[in-house]
Amino acid sequence: MSPFNDDELKQKVREGFLLESPDEMTEGYRKAIVTQLTVQGDTELISAPAYWMAARDAPSNNTQVTVVAIIQDELAHANIAYRLLEDMGVSREKLVYEREPAQFKHPYGFDQPLENWAEMVVANGFFDRAGYTLLSDVFSNTSYGPLKRALVKVDLEENFHLRHGENWMRRLSKAGGEARAKVQRAIDWMFPMTVEWFGLPDDRKRHSDQLDYRLKGLTNDQLRQEWMSHTVALCKRNGFRAPAHRDDATGRYVLEYPFPCRYDAAAKRWLFDEGEITWDEVFDRWKARGPMNERYVESIRRSHASVSRLLGAA
Amino acid sequence: MAGLWAALRDVMDPEFPITIVDLGLIYDVRRRGDVVEVDLTFTATACPCMDFIREDIRERLLREDGVGEVRILEVWSPPWTRARISAEGRAVLRKHGVAA
Repeated sequence: MSPFNDDELKQKVREGFLLESPDEMTEGYRKAIVTQLTVQGDTELISAPAYWMAARDAPSNNTQVTVVAIIQDELAHANIAYRLLEDMGVSREKLVYEREPAQFKHPYGFDQPLENWAEMVVANGFFDRAGYTLLSDVFSNTSYGPLKRALVKVDLEENFHLRHGENWMRRLSKAGGEARAKVQRAIDWMFPMTVEWFGLPDDRKRHSDQLDYRLKGLTNDQLRQEWMSHTVALCKRNGFRAPAHRDDATGRYVLEYPFPCRYDAAAKRWLFDEGEITWDEVFDRWKARGPMNERYVESIRRSHASVSRLLGAA
Repeated sequence: MAGLWAALRDVMDPEFPITIVDLGLIYDVRRRGDVVEVDLTFTATACPCMDFIREDIRERLLREDGVGEVRILEVWSPPWTRARISAEGRAVLRKHGVAA
């Protein structure tokens, strides 16, 4: 039982109070942090098979080792989130092994196939930049002490991943020709994919439990702006096109396409010509999940049952 | 040579916010005409980021005036140990919870 009621707890965390144990959480707080950590754990976990798919296209043994080191980090980050959830009485076994693939809460972007080295490095540059943006904000603002301490390591490692992406985007840009064209094609579908990842714009989302309980500090639009401030510049300095620019009068980044809009997953193409759609249509697409959802989930748990049986039989 | 060392101080470790000079990875840097030679080591013989670090060094030094080519020579002797980390480097690592 929490020693506080919900309003008292919200007031305390606003004043900088850090919770150190699930015993201090109200039901509302617990529900909000379980959702946050489930999204975090699932995102890290499913990035592993997605990155492995592309790691097979690494151009050298050492670069493949680099990506495998990144995958190892992501699995360890998932382990941190699930471990903290266990403290709150959530079963990791059920989360990882018993949910339907469509019930996982990672973003739609990680349901897509990463099919070549260019897509791998743009994923590092864009998706890991999104992870870094979101988790740095959680680190700076979270009211849950155990998560804050765990994120020191996570943020350092995400920084390594996104630098790997930025490095290779520069390198492939300088190579020119087909290398450069492949990065541009990856940017064309992955930039809007990551913009959408940050969710509902602030003018449609007036209330957030995660903000009330200080589980994060910035709104969806603030986080999206922060992400674009790095990625638009990254594309520009390497001579790539990104469908957004900085408005000098307001200092804000402005999208150059209807947002949100339809996505053709099979063609990996955003249907800008069909104009703006509703967020309900986006949520339907997210809920239906993307083309690799089942295969990625299956790949991280395919031996669990069979090896458990072997151990049980011994 | 001071300019080349300063340029190398712009090259960061892939993970920690510490320069490769403070980490002690650079044994020597020399210039012959437009060619720069760097004696570089790694913290481990199987460092996962060798390619990453070499590329960062090459890219940074090629931006120095009059540098047309960068040759990176890998040096394993004497082997890298934590004693090669500078005082500034140690302070950074401590701040991030790494014993050095």
